[in-house]
Amino acid sequence: MKVKVNDVELDLEPGTSAIDAVFAAGYDVPYFCSQEYMSPIGACRMCLGKVGAPRKDRETNDWIRDAETGEPQIFYFPNLMATCTTAIMDGMVIDTLSKEVRQAQSGMMEFHLINHPLDCPVCDKGGACELQDRAYEYGAGTSRFEFDKRHQEKHHALSELITLDRERCIHCKRCVRYFEEVPGDEVLDFIERGGHTYIGTVDEGLPSYFTGNITDICPVGALLDATSRFRGRNWEYDHTRTVSLDDASGAAIMVDARTGRIERVKGARNTQVNLDWIDDSTRFGHEYVDAPDRLKTPLIRKGALLEPASWEEAAQFIASRLAVAGKRVGVAVRSDATLEEGVAAKALAEHLRGHAEHFPRPAASVIAENPATFTDVATSDAIFVVGDPTEEVPTLDLRIKDALRGVAPPELLAHGVPIADLRLKERMPRKRSILTVAAPYRTNLMRHAGQELIYPAGQEEDLFGGVGSGKAGASLAAEQLNQLKSALSDAKKPVIILGAFVLASAAATRAAEALAESVGAKVMKLGPMANSYGLEALEVTSDGGYADLLTQSDVLILSNLNPAQDVQIGERLRNLDLLIVHDSFETETTGLAHVVLPAKTGYEKEGTVVNLEGRFLNVYPAPVDSGTSEDFIGVVRTLGEALGVRLDGRSVRSARRSLAKTLNHDLAALPEEGLLAPVDAKEIGETVADTVAGNLLLTSSLLKVDRLRRNPKLRAAHGDVALRVNPADAEAQNLEAGANVTVNIGGVARSATIKITEDAPEGLMLLPATFDQALGLTSAEIVPAADLVSA
Amino acid sequence: MSVLDIAKGMGVTLSHLFKKPVTVSYPEQKVDIKARFRGRHHLLRHPNGLEKCIGCSLCAAACPAYCIYVEAAENDPANPTSPGERYAKIYEINMLRCIFCGFCEEACPTGAVVLGHEFELADFKYKDFTYGKDDMLVGTVGSKWQRREADRLEKPVELGFKAGQRVELEGVDY
Ligand code: SF4
Ligand code: SF4
Ligand code: SF4
Ligand code: FES
Repeated sequence: MKVKVNDVELDLEPGTSAIDAVFAAGYDVPYFCSQEYMSPIGACRMCLGKVGAPRKDRETNDWIRDAETGEPQIFYFPNLMATCTTAIMDGMVIDTLSKEVRQAQSGMMEFHLINHPLDCPVCDKGGACELQDRAYEYGAGTSRFEFDKRHQEKHHALSELITLDRERCIHCKRCVRYFEEVPGDEVLDFIERGGHTYIGTVDEGLPSYFTGNITDICPVGALLDATSRFRGRNWEYDHTRTVSLDDASGAAIMVDARTGRIERVKGARNTQVNLDWIDDSTRFGHEYVDAPDRLKTPLIRKGALLEPASWEEAAQFIASRLAVAGKRVGVAVRSDATLEEGVAAKALAEHLRGHAEHFPRPAASVIAENPATFTDVATSDAIFVVGDPTEEVPTLDLRIKDALRGVAPPELLAHGVPIADLRLKERMPRKRSILTVAAPYRTNLMRHAGQELIYPAGQEEDLFGGVGSGKAGASLAAEQLNQLKSALSDAKKPVIILGAFVLASAAATRAAEALAESVGAKVMKLGPMANSYGLEALEVTSDGGYADLLTQSDVLILSNLNPAQDVQIGERLRNLDLLIVHDSFETETTGLAHVVLPAKTGYEKEGTVVNLEGRFLNVYPAPVDSGTSEDFIGVVRTLGEALGVRLDGRSVRSARRSLAKTLNHDLAALPEEGLLAPVDAKEIGETVADTVAGNLLLTSSLLKVDRLRRNPKLRAAHGDVALRVNPADAEAQNLEAGANVTVNIGGVARSATIKITEDAPEGLMLLPATFDQALGLTSAEIVPAADLVSA
Repeated sequence: MSVLDIAKGMGVTLSHLFKKPVTVSYPEQKVDIKARFRGRHHLLRHPNGLEKCIGCSLCAAACPAYCIYVEAAENDPANPTSPGERYAKIYEINMLRCIFCGFCEEACPTGAVVLGHEFELADFKYKDFTYGKDDMLVGTVGSKWQRREADRLEKPVELGFKAGQRVELEGVDY
């Protein structure tokens, strides 16, 4: 469709909004209420333009022409139009520059500012504020309003994490629409009317996992991140665009640091992955990085004590002991280590004739045969989820909800993502029927699903077998499973999503892949950590796995792992010839180590990770003061120097040279969306006897249990580690809600607070796992915490 | 160059011979400073005792020498440091880097930081040139070194200048 914006002629797709035509033409209009990936509603009236179009003569079916020039005559709308809610028409003319338009825009600006306080110097939005910028560009410069402004509450705590300044709100409704449209948790709304309107909630806090995004989209400083309140002005932060290493999605984040501290994390845009949205744990979960007990120098064991030392001393100490030949060496890194660290780990293991491994690593491969991307999920017409994506990969939860709206992700225009996507509407009907969620307990996502299947934990293989064969399985009726199978086979783009409980069993995964093949579905596997996919593709794996590595080595080098959390394993580690632990904090395992090396966190590393789609994404370091901490590359470099060898992976560059050979990609400076290059699936591992009995299910959790202790604000908002128990079980076992208990799982003692909920099925308790616990069924014993103290 | 030009030049020189010398024998004698002279900064208070500074960091943004560091915090409503929600928890100026341009004063929305007349800022260690809130809030007289000396000698700080009054310096009395 041809449109003309001022003097620029464009050819755009029908359905494009006029505001996007203006931006695509390289012009600008002010706007506050439209927001990428959300419905345009025309609330702020800032985007006014003079809009007109030619008309056809009904009789001749030709354009009505100007008598003099013979050109089609332009009929202008009687009033200025909000360009965000106006769709383009053939031959449309949009004027944004005339005096009339400018005057209207500055008039609207004056209205917006009538009740707006003069808070800019103390407002955390100052310097990055849409209202401030637009008032500067389009406003009159002076105020004619001589009366008292509206006074409302100034620092209302919407939750522990978000403050609301009601005087600053301009009623654009972005926040209200966001909650309804994106996570589907309707927790905010306008209260009262007219000049008294304010944003509020009837709930206690904001019961959603995705609340922080409203602080990114609020065009003014009304909704602000309470955790970074007054920590710095927007121009004072060092902005680092990187990738979150909290889960396997590879969501883009912006890390804002000041004087060596991370002050806040904001969502960044990756049009293929997280759009603009991130979950609250990704946003607010960084506090541990600056915890006072962070390790900042190496420690060397001198008798019973660990004493601070320099890296050189630590390296000498290690080199002198590594020289002894004939030792069995094991090197293991946590699965959020970068590819480059993986190369380093492999090179070190190879040099010492040992084995390298990453943990956690599920029994089945996390690399899918026919892999689905996030866009596949968002455009799918039949989604079968087995697991709990909200907790495992929160980004996926939102992308599944995109699919329920039935609107494909928008095509990019000349200026990027459309500002007003006219296909999106407020309160759209959701196509719940396309979503089936199966899990051993009631998950968050089930509230949005057409069909929910709760099956006994550990029976995933039966579940897939049942769907495939159409027979009853996993305690579910044949009818339900049949319905699901036909939905999947009839769909054009079915996707099957396999969560942690499926991947924990090789047999179940095989059954799932067989089902996917029979119905022609793409598969998405939810790997446990940020680089599970990459480290498996790089083959940082050993035959015996992590368990063997722990039991059959004389020398162990562990990065960010804490196997001694389990006292039985800890006993074994005591007898090692040499235990080197690379970690950011003291743990049970560093307590046994001969040498402890301080580790960088995911915000401080440079490298590459591969998300669950097989997308290679660069990770960039934020300027954080972490003493002499190093990533695993630094460990290998120092050890290599002490041993007198030049190992691959002694620097990011050397690791990338080696990766270019093994994976055939140049990983330096990848595009922002990353490089989608899934690797070939491998044979799924040996079937180990699965645990099918137990009273406790270790689940993954969006709130990282290991870090929660050092994230007091996040803990205050979302509560402490909870042991979820069914009311019937609680009564039978005499457990009281809110009571603190110790959960003994093998040699691991975990403390938790009892939460009584119908979400947990009868006979099964749910506890979020730590990084060092394998997910899935296990047996546990509950001891009241008080007993432990008195004993 | 003609003889006339030389005579003109010598005339200027000669005429100065009979004028009163401008030399001040500082420090025995006090320097006379103009009201608009820009010396060490003062952090001012409102008449009710609350600090004028709201920790907005605009002075730091305006500073061409990047020598101001501000860290803000939230006021305790029961016992506020400044009016409103926000106050400066840390306010530091590195006097070695400062070029006394006065942009910070210009940028300040509340008139909290004002350049005063004190110029005797010499000291011995780099770190002693970083002036914090305690060194600049009204009521503090003299540079760090002058105050140390005064403490040692148990005498009040003696400033080496006479200053004209300046209205912006609310509450500052030399
Ligand atoms: S919201 Fe924007 S315009 Fe309003 S006080 Fe804050 S910075 Fe200023
Ligand atoms: S709080 Fe912010 S996002 Fe919500 S309506 Fe007000 S200005 Fe818009
Ligand atoms: S006087 Fe100029 S150089 Fe000195 S602190 Fe103020 S703005 Fe910076
Ligand atoms: S009316 Fe707000 S952007 Fe158009």
